[in-house]
Parts: sequence; C-alpha cells; structure tokens
Amino acid sequence: MSKAEFSGRTAIVGIATSDFKALYGTDPERTREDLATHAIRDALDDAGLKKEQVDGLITGGTVHYEPLAYRAGLTDVRFCVDYPSAGRMCPMALMHAAQAVENGLANYVVLFNSLCFRSNQVKFGMGGGWMGTGLLYDSVYGMASPGAQYSLAFTRYQHLYGGTEEQLGAIPVAFRKHAQLNPVAIMQNSMTIEDYLAARYIAQPLRLFDYCLVNDGAVAYVVTSAERARDLKQKPVMIGGTAGRANFREWYVDLDFWADACASMKRDLMDPLGVGTDDIDSVQVYDNFSVSVLWGLEGFGFAPKGQGLEWIQDGRIELGGELPINTSGGMLSEAYLQGWNQHAESVRQLRGQAGPRQIPDCQRILYWGLSALPSASLLYVD
Amino acid sequence: MTYVKPLPELTHEDRPFWEAAREHRFILPRCRDCGHIWFPPYSSCQKCLSFDREWIEASGRGTVWGYTIMCQPYVPGYADEMPYNVVLVELEEGPLLYSNLVGVPDEEIRPDIPVEAFFDDVTDDFTLIRFRPRNRTGE
Repeated sequence: MSKAEFSGRTAIVGIATSDFKALYGTDPERTREDLATHAIRDALDDAGLKKEQVDGLITGGTVHYEPLAYRAGLTDVRFCVDYPSAGRMCPMALMHAAQAVENGLANYVVLFNSLCFRSNQVKFGMGGGWMGTGLLYDSVYGMASPGAQYSLAFTRYQHLYGGTEEQLGAIPVAFRKHAQLNPVAIMQNSMTIEDYLAARYIAQPLRLFDYCLVNDGAVAYVVTSAERARDLKQKPVMIGGTAGRANFREWYVDLDFWADACASMKRDLMDPLGVGTDDIDSVQVYDNFSVSVLWGLEGFGFAPKGQGLEWIQDGRIELGGELPINTSGGMLSEAYLQGWNQHAESVRQLRGQAGPRQIPDCQRILYWGLSALPSASLLYVD
Repeated sequence: MTYVKPLPELTHEDRPFWEAAREHRFILPRCRDCGHIWFPPYSSCQKCLSFDREWIEASGRGTVWGYTIMCQPYVPGYADEMPYNVVLVELEEGPLLYSNLVGVPDEEIRPDIPVEAFFDDVTDDFTLIRFRPRNRTGE
C-alpha cells in the first residue's frame, strides 16, 4: 500500500494529558504508573470507549506494557510494544499503532508516555555513553549533551548565515505567550525578549529559556480505523503519515542542520499527499531546544535556507501569525513530554477544542523533531 | 592533586588511541580495505564494516567547526573551570572530534579558526589531545 493510500485510514480518536502545572514540583510518592493509568482512563473517556475494547498497547518505554496492563486490568490485549524511552519516538509509536490497526493486529490501540523526571530528580546533560561503552570522547573535555551540541551547531550556523541571539529569542517568547493561554502549561509568567536575554547562559550561545522543561506528567492517545472512528464521540483526527530519517552522525551535531533529514521527511510525508508548506495551518515542534524550530523551518522549506532567524520575527510563529507554532507552549513552556504533548495539542486544534488558543479553520498540522532520530508526522481533519 | 574529571575506560577498541596519546602521538584508525579514516576509534570501519584497521599518524591539523562555552556544571570536575570552551574540530583527515581550544580567549573563538593538536598530560596515565591556534601559513 502506498503512503497516499495509507493516509487517512486510521485516526486518533481519544487524547488525554496531565495537568502539567498542577504536577510541577516534586512528589517522592508520585509514580509513572499512576500518571499513565490516569491518562489512559481519560483518553478512553475522551474517545467514548471502554477499556475492555482496548486490544493494543504501545508504551513510551518508562512503564512497560506488562505491569501497566495488569494494573489497568487490560485483559484482552493482542498487540504490545515498548518503545525506547527517548524523546523522539512519538511519531514512530503513532505509525506503529496505525499500522497495527490497518493490518488487523488490533482494533483499538492505546499509546502513552509517562514521565517522572522532576520527582525522580533526573539529571540531564552529562556527556559520554553516546558512542557505546568506554568511548568517552566528549565528557573528558567537559562536553555535555545534547543542549551543548545544539549550541555548538548554532555557532556554526551563525558563522555561515549571521543572525543574533535576540532573533532566536523570538521562539521561546512566542511559545511563552501561547502557554499563557493554556491553563495546564507550567510556565505562565510573561516573558519579554529582554527577560529572555537576561537569563543565564547554559551552553553559550544558548540560554536557560532555549532549553526545555524537566517535569512530570503523562499523555495518552487512542488510535483506531477511520471507519470505527465515525461511531465514536469525537471528531476523528486522521493520521496522514509519519516519517523518520536517521543519519546517526556526530551525536546531535548535524553538519547541515538537519537540512537533508527534513527534505527527506518532507518527500516521504508531504509529497505523496500533495501537501505543501502553504497547506499547513500550524506546526508543532519537538522543541528540546529552540534551535530545533529554526532548523526545521528551513529544512521543510517554510523559511529560506539561512534566513530562518529573520523569518520568525514579528509574530509570524505566534497565534494570529502566518504559521502558529507550539500553540500549547511546547516543551519550552507547556511541559516536556517528549513530543507527545505536541501531538495532543494538534488533536485539540484539529478538533476545534483549543479554546482561547484555537487556530481558525485548522485542518493540517505538521510535527517534527530533530535529534539523533529525526521524525515527523502529519495529522489532518477532513 | 587528584584528577577528578572524567577519564576514558580503555577498551579493545580505543586502547591503542589512548596509549599513543600518552606517548604524545595522535593516531587515527584507517580501514585497510577501503581506506576510510574514522573517529571515535570503533573496531570496525563505518563505511565498509571491515574489522581490518590500521593506525595512521594524524597531522594534528584541523579547523574549528563550531564551539560552545559551557556555563553549567554538568560534567564532574569541570565546575571550577566555568565558563570553558568545547570545540568540535574538523581534522584534515576528515573525522571530527570534541576537544578544548587553549590559547585563545573564549570570546575570540570562531568557527574555521585553524588549529593544531598538542598533548596535555592530565595524569601520569592519561594524556588528552587538546588544540591551539595555528598560523594559517605555518603548516
């Protein structure tokens, strides 16, 4: 089956996210299992499904399918997969669910990701280990990862194309404005470009607000066939497709700023459907670091190569602008749920349920993440 | 004084590299089958998957591809040095590697600066390869 034929045959019919703001702070007794169960229950309610109907289960890897299925009393599951707990697997998990449904492996697949990074006081940023045991070729020199690697790539980008840190600040500032319209977003304080520039550097030239949050929370979806979706509670959000393009080189420092990877994903994902950048109403980005937004805009062809920093100015990526990005606040200001919260936001926008941050007549949303495994997805409504 | 920064644990893959560095030699693995030169020194060629590698003497010359100034104490032992630079050096032989640039104020580091390797004996047993600016014509 071609990608074009596959497109629209499956749909996201239920979503749920935690109240990330209420969960912000640490609670030593909080568990990923509780958060996951809560999200799954709410996603099934959202879809109007009973848990007895669930026959497929895909996990984000932090809670394995077996203990979760016991706890949630999922007793008739035919298809289970654990994904590696990495911040880039959401489109992969979504496509896996869609393929399982399309191929008759399961009728109703529940997918979830659940994180307790803050309560567990997980520390990010240490280098080493990326290349396998023993090969410590970064941390011996004080190199951390991966934010420092994006920062290092940004110095190269600036060297080639110019642009200022102030221009980059348009990204976190836009997402903060969006978060202020989202009651569950963690970062609700207003942030001006001056506030952004006044924040300390983490790995210069990237600052505190170029880095995503570290928090607790869970997200769950339910995927089924387009046909079954018609009988459920919500307006179905169609899975147009997903794409991935890994090049596995230089550990997060992609030497062309993911231009090749994005062009390849665009060819795989958008071209078969005849969808161009002009057809996209909003973009949701895996904003592990602000620069992922910049480089994807260039790579997918929204902004001319080397001109992304100019392109994002003057509210262009804000609600009301030409291309609203990360309308729930993204991982910089809503919550870090490894791209799963962005897909939930896409569903809300496409259903018309995004409240004060609703994009008028929103029909197609593109998602991308740029990391060791670049990935993308396209969701739409008819 | 005890060295508290991370040090490599030697494996069959990279022991020759670090032992050479200790002798103040900068070597890189090269594939005997296809000629590819790679880094880090995995035991097999990234191009053709051959395990038949030899070691060549690197020129030590390269340019700065990009850099960052670390301002957060992520890496044990480096807190007292903050802010400090990390550079990604593109070697003449092709591979890229992380290191530190010494002898230039951090604010003057730019991509494409020509650099050359030197040996920094950080402990009795370990020598790190760091870089310093090189005159563009002084090759």
